[in-house]
Amino acid sequence: MAPPRDAEHAPPTPTATTGVFAADREVGRDLAAVDWAATPLGSPRGWPQSLRTAVSILLSSRFSMWMAWGPELTFFCNTAYRRDTLGQKYPWALGRPAREVWAEIWQDIGPRIDAVLTTGEATWDEALLLFLERSGYSEETYHTFSYSPLRDDSGAVVGMLCVVSEETERVIGERRMATLRELGSDPSMVRTEEEVLAFAGRQLGRNPRDLPFTLTYLFGPDGSARLAGTTGLRAGHPAAPAALPADGTPGVWPTAAPARGESVVTALDGPPFTGLPTGDWAEPPTHALILPLLQQGTTPYGFLVAGLNRYRPLDEGYHGFVELTAAHIASGISGARSYRAQQRRAEELAELDRAKTTFFSNISHEFRTPLTLIMGPVQELRSRLDGAGPEVREELEVVHRNALRMGRLVNDLLDFSRIEAGRMRASYEPADLAAVTAELASVFRSAADRAHLAFEVDCRTLDQPVYLDRGMWEKVVLNLLGNALKFTSEGCVRVAVRAGDGHAEVTVADTGIGIPAAEMPRLFERFHRIENARSRSIEGSGIGLALVRELVGLHGGTITADSTEGEGTRFTVRLPFGSAHLPADAVVPATGAGGVFPSADPYVQEAVRRRPETAPRTDAATVASAGRPHTAGARPAAPARVLVADDNADMRAYLTRLLRGAEYEVEAVADGRQALGAARREAPDLVVSDVMMPRLDGLSLVAALRADPRTASVPVLLLSARAGQEASVEGLGAGADDYLVKPFAAAELLARVRANVELSRLRTRHARWRTALVDSLQEAFFVCDEEGAVVEINTAFTDILGYGPEGLPYRPRQPWWPRAAADPDAHERAAVAFEGMLRRGRGRHTVPVSHRDGHRLWISISFNRVRDPGTGRRAVVGTFRDVTAEHHAVQRESALAALGLRLSRAGDASEALTGSLAELKELWRARQVLAVVLDGTPEPSVTTAAGPAPGWPELSPRLRKRLGSLRGVAPLTPVTDRSGAGIVLEHPGGPLALWIDLGGHRLFTDEDQLLLSLLAGHLAQGLVRAHQIDQQRETALALQRAILGPSHLPDGFAVRYEPATRPLEVGGDWYDTVALPDGRIGIVVGDCVGRGLGAATVMGQLRSACRALLLQDAGPARTLMALDHFAAGLPGARCTTVFCGVLDPASGRLTYSSAGHPPGILARADGTTLLLEDGRSLPLAIRPGRPRPEGACTLPARATLLLYTDGLVERRRRPLTAGIDQAGAAVQQGRDVAVGELATQVMERLAPAGGYDDDVAVLVYRHPAPLDLSFPAESAQLALVRQALRGWLAQCGLPRRTVQNVLVAAGEACANAIEHGHRDAPGDPVRLRVEAFADGLRLVVADSGSWKVPQPEANRHRGRGTALMRAMMEQVTITPGATGTTVEMHTRIG
Amino acid sequence: MPTPLTLTPGRRDDGSALLTVVGEIDMSNTGAFAEALGATRGPLVVDLTGVEYLDSAGLGVLFLHADRVELVAGPLLTPVLTVSGLAGITTVHDA
Repeated sequence: MAPPRDAEHAPPTPTATTGVFAADREVGRDLAAVDWAATPLGSPRGWPQSLRTAVSILLSSRFSMWMAWGPELTFFCNTAYRRDTLGQKYPWALGRPAREVWAEIWQDIGPRIDAVLTTGEATWDEALLLFLERSGYSEETYHTFSYSPLRDDSGAVVGMLCVVSEETERVIGERRMATLRELGSDPSMVRTEEEVLAFAGRQLGRNPRDLPFTLTYLFGPDGSARLAGTTGLRAGHPAAPAALPADGTPGVWPTAAPARGESVVTALDGPPFTGLPTGDWAEPPTHALILPLLQQGTTPYGFLVAGLNRYRPLDEGYHGFVELTAAHIASGISGARSYRAQQRRAEELAELDRAKTTFFSNISHEFRTPLTLIMGPVQELRSRLDGAGPEVREELEVVHRNALRMGRLVNDLLDFSRIEAGRMRASYEPADLAAVTAELASVFRSAADRAHLAFEVDCRTLDQPVYLDRGMWEKVVLNLLGNALKFTSEGCVRVAVRAGDGHAEVTVADTGIGIPAAEMPRLFERFHRIENARSRSIEGSGIGLALVRELVGLHGGTITADSTEGEGTRFTVRLPFGSAHLPADAVVPATGAGGVFPSADPYVQEAVRRRPETAPRTDAATVASAGRPHTAGARPAAPARVLVADDNADMRAYLTRLLRGAEYEVEAVADGRQALGAARREAPDLVVSDVMMPRLDGLSLVAALRADPRTASVPVLLLSARAGQEASVEGLGAGADDYLVKPFAAAELLARVRANVELSRLRTRHARWRTALVDSLQEAFFVCDEEGAVVEINTAFTDILGYGPEGLPYRPRQPWWPRAAADPDAHERAAVAFEGMLRRGRGRHTVPVSHRDGHRLWISISFNRVRDPGTGRRAVVGTFRDVTAEHHAVQRESALAALGLRLSRAGDASEALTGSLAELKELWRARQVLAVVLDGTPEPSVTTAAGPAPGWPELSPRLRKRLGSLRGVAPLTPVTDRSGAGIVLEHPGGPLALWIDLGGHRLFTDEDQLLLSLLAGHLAQGLVRAHQIDQQRETALALQRAILGPSHLPDGFAVRYEPATRPLEVGGDWYDTVALPDGRIGIVVGDCVGRGLGAATVMGQLRSACRALLLQDAGPARTLMALDHFAAGLPGARCTTVFCGVLDPASGRLTYSSAGHPPGILARADGTTLLLEDGRSLPLAIRPGRPRPEGACTLPARATLLLYTDGLVERRRRPLTAGIDQAGAAVQQGRDVAVGELATQVMERLAPAGGYDDDVAVLVYRHPAPLDLSFPAESAQLALVRQALRGWLAQCGLPRRTVQNVLVAAGEACANAIEHGHRDAPGDPVRLRVEAFADGLRLVVADSGSWKVPQPEANRHRGRGTALMRAMMEQVTITPGATGTTVEMHTRIG
Repeated sequence: MPTPLTLTPGRRDDGSALLTVVGEIDMSNTGAFAEALGATRGPLVVDLTGVEYLDSAGLGVLFLHADRVELVAGPLLTPVLTVSGLAGITTVHDA
């Protein structure tokens, strides 16, 4: 419960903020300080309720608002508006004319305000550009606002209320973001520097608002700068010199600061800066921002000069935007330059390769001579020293073997240089491939036997020859077999020849150490040596296999290799049959040469010597000693982040130490699950992961990373203890980028890490730019997969909804959907939008969502379906922004409009309140809405949305307490608790407490509170207005009834007047009876055109005139003719219809004339009905002076005359005659009731379902009028009474016998009254009343004395009198009482 | 002022006493009516042909002398005489 405000927050000065300004202390105090007397509004004490209400709403609102009131549109605003918009104009603006306050934008807002004031309709503007001068300069701002009319107590529009939200940040933010997005949208990855700058220039040129002009300068090696690009400014402008000297001489732009990597702001004064472009604005920039084009870790490439928008401050956002722009340009330049450098390097490498070959071939030639001079003597010595000691022989063998080896190397190199130079001369002769190959293989048999290897030669003769250059083929086979023997320690070496489809196939397979998978691609590369844990110690030239491939290629064949590390290797050579693929001049007939292969010796020798030992296993100690991998050379610009996942703590520590030593930033986690979370939080440059891990193993981790767009491109290096091809294939198949088998050398790990990081950096430059861009979007961004799961989000997404990337993927139904139980409607809306997104794939929705902390948001979401180019799967990409404020603004407007409609439709104040409560109930979907006027009574009356409620005592104690607690709360200040919200508003009957019972299902938010106070303000105003209208109407009705009535109607007449039901308004109908001097009675029923007080006034004048005319003894026709003239001169009287008649009550003779009035209805005692249709003419004042006819009739005894206005009988879509018939029937039905009762019955029977929609006047007369006599209680009066009665009975047209019976009965009753009632007070009045009906008579004799105990003696003939009465009449009732006795008798007629 | 009533004593052709009453008999003039009746002795014919109204007070007077009077009355009085029971104990001649 909120405490009463006044008690808690007593203002410092009691007068300052009390009263109308109480709702806000600060602004209220400043408003109170305004000299209001000097404004057209005058002192607040004299302000109308409507203004007070408006000011209360304004001040109590936390939403930014201002309002203007009165002839000069005097300005008011609240705290929020002061803070958001008014700036330095506060408090100067308070109480000033709005035109003066907003002079600088009056041309924009003036016409809108005029429109509101003249049409009364609200305006709506979204993100309108306005140049405000609130901070000492003209400022570019954007506002979304609505002007709505404010009405005074009479409902006239006298001011306006502006609800505004400033959107400057959003509009400008979006504009800048668009530029950055376009900058990043460069589709081509690699460009030249010029292309990069031209592309950037085009994008910058498209944002002339933030960047009226830009200049891009690039530094030369000497420190001077050259102009490389401009936007918004032509190149020849004095402010854009083509070159700037190295610093020292002052130039147009400073170069020293950006060269040091610093940014500078320069004022643009003086000559070089005159005539600068203005961009999108009226005036050119006054300052420029100079930013270095800087990549981290490098010296600036140049600098960017950005002309600044003079209408925005150079705040953090602006500065950041220009910085990002410069960074992008710098990154583009960096990319272009590094691409250029790479290209150059590749060319250099190729050149180097060529130079190396040339060098080796040159040197080989030089080697051959000395080799020959070594080989010859060595051969000589071997044979000569056959008998020498074994030591000498051994050493000779060494010399011989190495000479052979060197000779072989030299020959290989020479072959290469020949091939490369195209000088390899080949002679292809048809050969039996199987035989040749088997022969070559046999050379190795003894060596294989010595090594205890199985040596299988499976060479079946082929059915056609293969063209071979024997020398070359010999090298191929010897190389392959030599390698096989060299790297196989146990098992077998196998050579096979087979025929394939159009080719022969030669395979050389071994069960040796195998080749690591990573080496396979480079197997046939020149000078490449296979790295293998077990072949580490084996030397090699690295040219053998490369030469084999070249040689096979010369034969038109191919060679492939399969290898599994630790299991063996198999080479397959395929040679085409026939000679069609060979140059014709190189094909020669078969020579049949063969047999001896002198060149085989070196291969065999080498193979035997170089066979592997059992390789020592590399232990951790050796690895650890590896040290830093690349102490020289360029390091990455920023330290790369490596994520290490391994469940072994020692291994984790070791890897961390190793990588940190190499200056990587390392994060180490214990399993795949943690690794996945860490990678999603911030994607690392590389993941190094063990394969075997608990919870999520390395392969699954790779799969999960690849499945998430944010981490799909992160390279992964898997570590495994499992050696062999299969394991690595599995790892690579899962998507790992590299695979390393434990144990591994430190240097190898670091080399692989480095290679992968660099590769990744190159590969993901674009992706990282995209991520940075997406994250910097102010709109929330997300990607949904085909199932609707959100798989990628950005920072703004988390900012708006509170859900971060660590929870990805978010599967439907996402946690931000409103809960179906709490808010089914919101849930349904979210579901519809979601369905639409998946099905239609494109669109825009505004939907309610729940923030992680539970509060309700509205977001405007737009989305589009895209196809992931990588996977081909469909995805939905969407953005949204928080439109809660806009949504609530719209909701407010429509709620206000709905409430206004309710109020305007209400017929009276109670209907206005009931309708408004219903509106509030619907708006908040409340369980109940109650209103109680706290008028101080112990049991105040309760109103609900359904109308007046059971009453105060029936309410639950909780509700009574809640409502009671609102007593003393400041008006229009919402109070909330868990179950709902309440507010107090001013009401004519005392403070009105409203309580909205939400049933605890839903929060009543700040926005709801704002809305409630706005609505309550409107309601208060509306109720005051409705109350005033009620009072006016009651006054008018009282007035009309006062004008209408003859205060005393002649007997026999009854009249009724009923105002129209809706709107309850008085009208112009009237009736009148005028007692004329000669005993006759004038009868008038009339109907003035129109409604309201105006019509009532006209009616009053016509009625008086008509009455005066009748009293002058004018007949009905003459009266109406005179009234014609009168009405012609009376505004509003024209077309009045009148029935005017003169009745002789004694004879029943009626003369009448009708001025366009519906006919009188005469219901006769015999059940027939007659319409008085004679004497009809035009309504009043249509043809003044024209004679009017007169009709006449004699009212038969006991007939009833009904006169009326058209409201009684006129109905839409029904002929008038139908209504008249209905009225006639109603009169006939009421023939046996008294005229007063009859008039009421007629009104009731003819009333339409919803009540009369026009006012109705009715006059009923029954002939003859009742006889009403009052005489002194003296027996002498009896004869006179009898005489009068006899005369009246004669008018009733009764049989003589009936007359006598009535006379006797009446006489006995009168005698009784005289004798019994008044024996002690003779002369007191006795009253006799006789009334005729169509079918009967009613007699009443009443005295006012006390009934005395009858004397027994006198009683005898009195008893006889009573018997007579009963005998004469059909019904006799004697009612004795303390104040007199009444005898009522009734008899039927006919 | 009592209701005007003319009471004319006389003799019938057969010599019997006759009281001819003209006017209306009500409470105000029953005194005079009773007096006129009391002034006679023996059988009496009361001619009410000229009486337009006779109330219970007048009937009361007639009841006092019912055993010696005969009445002459027009149809106007028939209901009153019948209802009061007077017609049952006296002879009523039609006028």
